[in-house]
Order: sequence, then C-alpha cells, then structure tokens
Amino acid sequence: MRFMMLMIPLGYETAPPDVKLDPERMRAMMKYNESLKDAGILITLDGLHPPSMGARVSFAAGKPVVTDGPFTESKEVLGGYWMIDVKSREEAIAWASKCPASENEIIEIRQVHEMSDFPEEIQQAAAGFTELQGNAARR
Amino acid sequence: MRFMVIVKASKDSEAGVMPSTELLTAMGKFNEEMVKAGIMEAGEGLHPSSKGARVKYPGGPATVSRGPFGLTNDLVAGFWLIKTKSLDEAIDWMKRAPFDGGAEIEIRQVFSAEDFGEALTPELREQEERLRAQAAKK
Repeated sequence: MRFMMLMIPLGYETAPPDVKLDPERMRAMMKYNESLKDAGILITLDGLHPPSMGARVSFAAGKPVVTDGPFTESKEVLGGYWMIDVKSREEAIAWASKCPASENEIIEIRQVHEMSDFPEEIQQAAAGFTELQGNAARR
Repeated sequence: MRFMVIVKASKDSEAGVMPSTELLTAMGKFNEEMVKAGIMEAGEGLHPSSKGARVKYPGGPATVSRGPFGLTNDLVAGFWLIKTKSLDEAIDWMKRAPFDGGAEIEIRQVFSAEDFGEALTPELREQEERLRAQAAKK
C-alpha cells in the first residue's frame, strides 16, 4: 500500500520566500531519508518552497480566480512529503514516529488511491490513466 | 521548475464519494493534455482522512491521533507534480483544470538542489542524488 507522509511545519504558513534551512536539521533528515531507502520503502520525496512563493486557484462559478501567496487564512501548510510503500497504516505510523521532527511539526499519514480501489465502471472510464502515469514517470 | 499542485479536500472527498464518470473523463483528458505537453510528472488521489493518522513530536515519544480530521481549507485530497518554466505557466495550466463549485488548488514550487545553497554540502548533495536514483528504481 502506498502512503503519503505529509510534513506540516507549523509556522511555515508565514515563512518568507527566502527561508533559510538549518544544515544540522538537514543532516538529521537526510539520515532518516536514508533509513527509509535502506528499508526499501521510499518511493519519492520532495520539499516545498514557502506558500509566500505560491498561488491558489479557486473554481467558484465561472472563471477561475487566482490568489498569490502567502495565504492569510491558512493555519497549516505543507512543507514537503514522502511517498512510501508499506504493508499497513500501522507500519506507516511506525515509520513516521521515527522521523527526527521538531515540536512544531506534524506528519499526516494518508493512503494513496490505487486504480483497483475504484468501481469497475470508473476503472473503465479512467482506462489508460495508469499507462499515462507510467509515461509521465519515465520523463 | 517543478511545482506541486495540491487539490484541497471537500465534503465529498472526505465522505469517500467517488467522482462522476463525467468528471473522471474530463480529468483524464486534462491529464492527457499535460502528459502530451510534457509537463506532468505524477498525479495521485488520497483516501479520506478517516483512514489516515497524524503524528506529533512533543519531545520524548511521538504521539499518534487517528483520522478523520476536521474539514478545513488546509486538508489535502490529491496532488499533481508538474514541470513548467514559471509559476505563471503552472497557473495558466491549472486554470484549465475541469473543476467547479468552489474547488480550490494550491500551487507550490518544489525545492531543487540549487535552492538549498550552502546548507546542502557536497557530501549531502551526493547522498541526496544517490537516494533519489535508488528510490526511482523501485
């Protein structure tokens, strides 16, 4: 089963665009990343620039509306994520619990949809999507 | 530049209501356009937060709470990873996504090795590249 571990650093919602990272913390995180890889469960991982460099698009009735970051009403924003392949939610929780995260950080664990989760009718409508993803991933 | 496009959760996504065949068809077409344009790297949907968990780090052992989590505008339902030349190009693409009825997405730039500056020592950089190469092989 694939799970996303969503890193939510409280306070990142107001971080400036040129946020500075602490080399000590990076070293600790890289060690943790390495342990995920050594266990053969790491699929991919990424870090995200602060929301002050991002944008939102909302689709109310009619035209899409674009808002530039930072987003004042946000209380929690993503700082990055890991995608892992484990046997159960419990195993995902156990791995997240080992992360050298700080007191201001939360890791949210969410299962990723597989095509086989969808009813037959939906699978047919989405036929070719997995193939598309495969093509996309090879780029 | 790489961007993560975060799709926000809704009442339906949290209730586990599957998108209609119509919407899935429109989404499939949109994805296909992005793949053909060479900008789409990945796209995934997440199960409702009721199947998820949260881990906190108060100092000492980590604490775990199980979902569901309250539906806020910060809760995530899915994402794309795309590669475009600028944030504006990413926005232009996403304006064409087949959403309606108050759906919202957030576009965030993904860190690349260059962004880390001196914090990413040559040794860490080498470690990071090796890790990515091996993870990608799976």
